[in-house]
Amino acid sequence: MTQPFLSIQGIRKTYGQVTAVKNVSLDVAKGEFMTFLGPSGSGKSTTLYILAGFQDPTDGDILLNGQSLLSTPSHKRNIGMVFQRYTLFPHLTVGENVAFPLRIRRIGQAEITERVKKALKLVRLEGFEDRKPALMSGGQQQRVALARALVYNPPVLLMDEPLSALDKKLREEIQFEIRRIHQETGVTILYVTHDQEEALRLSDRIAVFSQGEIDQIGTGQELYANPATHFVAGFIGDSNFINAEVLSSADGKAKLALPGGTVIDGVPMHAGKAGGKSASLLLRPERLSLSGMQVANGLAVTINDITFLGNNIEVSTQTGNGESLSVRLPFGHEAISSISRGDQAWLSFEPKSTHAFA
Amino acid sequence: MVLSATTDGGERKIRRNGSFGYVVPALLLIAFFFIIPVLMLLMRSVLEPTPGLQNYQELLGSTTYLRVFLNTFTVAGLVTVVAVVIGFPVAWLLAIMPDKWSRLVMAIIVLSMWTNLLARTYAWMVLLQRTGVVNKMLMSLGIIDKPLALVNNLVGVTIGMTYIMLPFVILPLIGILKAIDPAILRAAALCGANKRQCFTRVLLPLSLPGIASGALMVFVMSLGYYVTPALLGGTSNMMLAELVAQFVQSLVNWGMGGAAALVLLLVTMVLYAIQLKFLNPNRAR
Repeated sequence: MTQPFLSIQGIRKTYGQVTAVKNVSLDVAKGEFMTFLGPSGSGKSTTLYILAGFQDPTDGDILLNGQSLLSTPSHKRNIGMVFQRYTLFPHLTVGENVAFPLRIRRIGQAEITERVKKALKLVRLEGFEDRKPALMSGGQQQRVALARALVYNPPVLLMDEPLSALDKKLREEIQFEIRRIHQETGVTILYVTHDQEEALRLSDRIAVFSQGEIDQIGTGQELYANPATHFVAGFIGDSNFINAEVLSSADGKAKLALPGGTVIDGVPMHAGKAGGKSASLLLRPERLSLSGMQVANGLAVTINDITFLGNNIEVSTQTGNGESLSVRLPFGHEAISSISRGDQAWLSFEPKSTHAFA
Repeated sequence: MVLSATTDGGERKIRRNGSFGYVVPALLLIAFFFIIPVLMLLMRSVLEPTPGLQNYQELLGSTTYLRVFLNTFTVAGLVTVVAVVIGFPVAWLLAIMPDKWSRLVMAIIVLSMWTNLLARTYAWMVLLQRTGVVNKMLMSLGIIDKPLALVNNLVGVTIGMTYIMLPFVILPLIGILKAIDPAILRAAALCGANKRQCFTRVLLPLSLPGIASGALMVFVMSLGYYVTPALLGGTSNMMLAELVAQFVQSLVNWGMGGAAALVLLLVTMVLYAIQLKFLNPNRAR
């Protein structure tokens, strides 16, 4: 068994009464792009700060190449980091900002000049050496910060919501740059974000954080197709949840009764804490099909609204007991021509493609 | 767009011309109480006892008076350095302290500024004298065996004036230090900078405009200080303000007094001009 490149083992962090991180363990492979995804206060940033050495964990250990990092102070960890806020040194030029880690390491001037040039080229800011940070846009500043964090070839690069201060278009542009830089340098990246789209776009694997714990680790596709918890199901992708009654369950499959009496069988069942009679059923909007005529095992709904969104059409519907469900149909779907607002319609789906959470 | 901009500019111009009348009282006040007295002093310094520049010649030509100048700059420089060295860490501590505590400490600092200057200076005389608390404490701790001479000399003046000047370093620095994002220091640490390098390469350069303006303020104020040097200093280290007082009060020599005062004013103004040119906080960032 080869040892993992970076191993976070049972990290816990408490501040007095408050527990910020409960029990976080994960292994990261060399060169992997791992994203910590979760809402604010879910412990993802605290975990990153523990990695950076700004905070000590109450319990647990972090191993890099099998060596514990915890006794090493921040400035000796040789880790790169890009922060949420702009952290370029305002009194230094762009070139001197990028040279800063090299000057600290007492590297010769000729090599510094060359490496700064290379790092700025990597982030596509060649020739900006003499510019002061205050005269640059937010996106440019974050790119310089990226160059500064990579210029000393750290084994691990931490990124703490580096794009949250930028507007959407710029964000997408820099996401693309970050992907390219990851591929070109092969650096291991741990990336924190609360934006699921950003996480899906960038990452090899995503760790979904919720209330100080990791709910699930996997590729974007795994998280989307097989969410382990109700929280992951709701956080990744668009989702509808309806209440259902558990009639029987065995081998991870359940037989459920939906409101209105429809019974479906063979639904993947994820055991929750309660294990009771009721469950929450996940129905992805694009996995639902809609018909104006009654279908066997269909769910009767009323059409509330039909919205044209370009390449697809969003239909919002309501079940008999008032739960709303949104359905996404491809442009030109035949059902659209035959239904209008206020009509009765029937939803059907593959039980296999849904998930129930007790 | 263009039209509205023009109207806007025109309006502003009219308002500015119209508002000139409102500043006349302020100008008169400044003229009567500041400019005219200085001019009168200038006149007396070149007219008394006889017209000519002999007052300035005597002031700048004699070694006695030059020693007073030298002493003035020494004390002011020493006080400035000590006040910055002590004030910077205090300001840093106040900047990173929880607000509740920093407000309390700041209130204590400001309160000390409101206490009568003479009272504070006499208090230092009592504390620093041969049988004072400071000497007694040092002796009972076994650090010294006989009392140190802490008053009527340069040491006394420096201690007393540094204490008075400290708030002028600390208060403006807190604002500057608070404006520095702690994430910048974290970034420096991850770049490999240890605590000392974080300080010398990041924190210090970023707070330099604040240090410089505080230091200049203290230096300029110290140059013309009277009460504290007069009470805590000795005769051998007289400062310029004391010299002026002696000319005017004891010798009733308005000519020499005026000349000394104007030399002091000139030095102060030159220093202020330097600050405006090089240390403008709006330009430094």
